[in-house]
Amino acid sequence: MNLKKVLAADAVWVDLKANTKAGILEEMVDRLVAAGKISDRETILEAIKDREAKMSTGMQNGVAIPHGKTDSVKQLIAAVGLQKEGVDFDSMDGLPCTIFIMTLSPIKRAGPHMQFLAEVSRLISQPAEREKLLAAKTHAEIYELLTGK
Amino acid sequence: MPTNTVHVVTNAVHTLAGSEHLTEASGHGITHLMMLLILQLGVIIIAAKVGGFLFQRFLKMPTVLGELASGMLIGPYALGGMIDFPSIGILFAEHDGLAASAELYGIATLASIILLFLAGLETDLSAFLRYSVVGSFVGLGGLVFSFVLGDLCAVLWPNDIHSFMDPAALFLGVISVATSVGITARILAEKRKMASPEGVTILAGAVFDDVLGIITLAIVMGMADVSGTGGEVNWGRIGLIALKAIGFFVVVTALGLLFARRITAAIKQFRSREIMVATCFGLALLLAGLAEMAGLAMIIGAYIMGLALSRTDLAHEIEHHLQGVYNIMVPIFFCVMGMMVDFKAMKPVLYFGAVYSMLAVISKVVGCGLPAWLMRFNLRGSLRIGLGMLPRGEVALIVAGLGLARGVVDQGVFGVAIMMTVITTMLAPPLLVKSFERGSGVRKALDCGSENIETIELDLPSHDITEFLMQRFIHALQQEEFFVHNLHTEQPTYRVLKDDIAFTLVQDESKLQINVPSANQNVARMILLEEVLALSDLLESTKEMKGLDQMGTDLVSGLFA
Repeated sequence: MNLKKVLAADAVWVDLKANTKAGILEEMVDRLVAAGKISDRETILEAIKDREAKMSTGMQNGVAIPHGKTDSVKQLIAAVGLQKEGVDFDSMDGLPCTIFIMTLSPIKRAGPHMQFLAEVSRLISQPAEREKLLAAKTHAEIYELLTGK
Repeated sequence: MPTNTVHVVTNAVHTLAGSEHLTEASGHGITHLMMLLILQLGVIIIAAKVGGFLFQRFLKMPTVLGELASGMLIGPYALGGMIDFPSIGILFAEHDGLAASAELYGIATLASIILLFLAGLETDLSAFLRYSVVGSFVGLGGLVFSFVLGDLCAVLWPNDIHSFMDPAALFLGVISVATSVGITARILAEKRKMASPEGVTILAGAVFDDVLGIITLAIVMGMADVSGTGGEVNWGRIGLIALKAIGFFVVVTALGLLFARRITAAIKQFRSREIMVATCFGLALLLAGLAEMAGLAMIIGAYIMGLALSRTDLAHEIEHHLQGVYNIMVPIFFCVMGMMVDFKAMKPVLYFGAVYSMLAVISKVVGCGLPAWLMRFNLRGSLRIGLGMLPRGEVALIVAGLGLARGVVDQGVFGVAIMMTVITTMLAPPLLVKSFERGSGVRKALDCGSENIETIELDLPSHDITEFLMQRFIHALQQEEFFVHNLHTEQPTYRVLKDDIAFTLVQDESKLQINVPSANQNVARMILLEEVLALSDLLESTKEMKGLDQMGTDLVSGLFA
């Protein structure tokens, strides 16, 4: 899968600031609004929080994949953010999360939505890849690491 | 073919005109003919379906063998030829050397076109274009070996076939080419080996085998026409015909693929699925006729149309809608093929049939096994691949029927072809199961971790919930643009494909099982997780149906008033 097709260079951030789970979700959605990718902030945030309420998307080794389905988006919107200090995200292994991959997809529209999440998480399932990602200093560097493969 | 068909039709009408039935029917010739046809179809459909069921249920064999056997039983050379009905006469009488009347043969031909159209539709062309190099060599190796051995067998056997280019020899070669991977797929699924390196290679090889087999048939049809006219073998002309056949296939397929999306976009303007599907089928029939006009077989045109449409989003719709027609029509074809087996004509060629069948086994095991062994598999793995490619089926029968109808092969050789199909199909399952009993089939040095197959298993509270979740999961996979193929096995099994991702889904009672290569497990796990969460939401929401008891009472109250 060509990640470049889905992930835009201006939806990749090396410097997330929030230090709570809700804060991270809000900050990522706000940044997507600021980048002009989405507009309906509240509905989208609700969709993501709904999904988190069913089961946390905090996985293992510091990776979280918050996502939601809403018709407020017309196509798959993806974003990747780092918060290097780590945030408590109710993850499966209890470790704080540092890498956040967010996707928003329309409810009925078909497309490789989960596959995108799966591909990115497969990419960063290698410890060496995660370290490289966390060592990145600029947005462009992360983008290159994720899409340059 | 057109001249032949006309000939057969004239003969059939002629035969009937000369019979007493027409006199009795006092001028209602066509009505009587149709009545006979309808009665025949009724008997055939019921016999074929019952036969297929019995074979699958009690012998664990593919239904096609049961349908063939039913045909043999009710055909003119067995029961059908013995029972004389009052005012109808013999239900299945021999017509001009053919077991079926022209009308019945016409319906069987239509069935074979449906079969090949759907086969083309189900072809995973991206796998064909992109998948393992090994698959292509396995398919090609099997094709060359089985064609050459099949042809040579006819030439070297003491009979009146003395040239490699003799039309009958060419047909015997091409009959033994086409692998029918259905039964192999079922066994691979049951043994959970579908995603194994051998499984992937067999399935990729089978796609190559299909496409190359059809091209070979096209070439052979042309060659048979030329060399059938007698005299010296004209290699220049044969080369030209081969070029024409390949040219037709490549050009029409390329055009089809190029314009398929535009054609379907135009067809979609109808906004009715029924019209869309029927129009596509009409196109398949048109191309089938066109292929025949170009000197190829009709099934080739149907297959190409299927192939062209396989990459469009209508493919699934067409498959789905034609399935009902397929279920009724295709057994007619196999049953009619069975009816054509003349046991008397087979007697003198029984030994030949045995040797031909044995060579058909050897040719696939060696022809497919050798390239596999040369590339990445050990002897065990190569044997598995060879055995997986062993069963012949539908296409072999269609080609044999084509040869018989054109008068290229006689009743005896036709029987031999059926015998080979039955033997290879019956031999493959036990041998394949046995071959998978031991360790890895990939050479140690190449047995890298990426080929490891993970089994993801969910044990749910009941069979019904598992079935429900399975359907949701399949829908979700389709939403993610995966291709999900039902393998029509007793235990519900699906093959899931997208680009280089391939895995299988199995429903084992209340268990849902996914066999997936480690590298692709993330995507399977994540999509399934979302469906499990949705399911738990759904179950939760049923609790909110406060009036459930009331609903029940409303539904049944008054029933016994």
